[in-house]
Amino acid sequence: MAVRHLNVEVRLESDVAVLDLMGEINGFAEEALNTAYQQAHAKDTNTILLNFEGVDYINSTGIALIVGLLAKARASHKRLLACNLSEHYVEIFNITRLSDFMGIFPDEQSAVSEISAS
Amino acid sequence: MARRPSDSRERNGTWRVLAELSVPSEPGNERRAMEAVASAIKDLGLTQQRLERLKTAVAEAALNAMEHGNHYRAELPVLIEVSASDTQLSVKITDEGSGPPAFHAETPDLEAKLKGMQTPRGWGLFLIKNMVDDMEVTGDEHHHTVELILHLDGRAEGGK
Repeated sequence: MAVRHLNVEVRLESDVAVLDLMGEINGFAEEALNTAYQQAHAKDTNTILLNFEGVDYINSTGIALIVGLLAKARASHKRLLACNLSEHYVEIFNITRLSDFMGIFPDEQSAVSEISAS
Repeated sequence: MARRPSDSRERNGTWRVLAELSVPSEPGNERRAMEAVASAIKDLGLTQQRLERLKTAVAEAALNAMEHGNHYRAELPVLIEVSASDTQLSVKITDEGSGPPAFHAETPDLEAKLKGMQTPRGWGLFLIKNMVDDMEVTGDEHHHTVELILHLDGRAEGGK
């Protein structure tokens, strides 16, 4: 099985910088993820949303990369959210306690609605 | 005291080998190992949740074996044996490392990681322990083996 290298597109949606993640979040993903995060950070929003709809594999190195993004977001007083995680990765985010530090939403619409209402 | 899978094997007697395979120690191949194990156990009737948990545990054990055991030397394979009895599923993952098995010993603490007091990495063993019912790590001067155990009698309930 060939590695599906991560591809990330960054867009602005109702004052939220959305990272559309496509591929695997593993050791190969570091550069793509960090570059996309910098682009999202430059959009000067208070919230950055990681959209996992196109992700079917996250390993422990990928979890570490997400921890790194969360640390950057907290350092710059931005909210980091996640949406469209599969049931299994919601469990992983709960076990690792990532879900205690970043809001987890079932889909993009519910995440954006929550942000708009707050 | 945790049940030793080898003891269980002696007690329960009849084990059948479902697959024996090897993967080269190259980055990304842990997913190959994961999918091969999933294919080998497809007839066991695990719930989707149990299957996904086992796949994550296998991937993390294989990743650790390739990275820390075999140091990503492609000519050194990671060996995987999948076997089952009526009540248990075992996945043994063996590398060619020497000395004590090289898992990150520190329990991950997300708050400490976010404060820079722990490395962001070090989730592998933690994930494995949370994904399977039992695990055993053994090693000698030539090999490390991680054995992952799922209790099959609990599969209908979908619990850990």
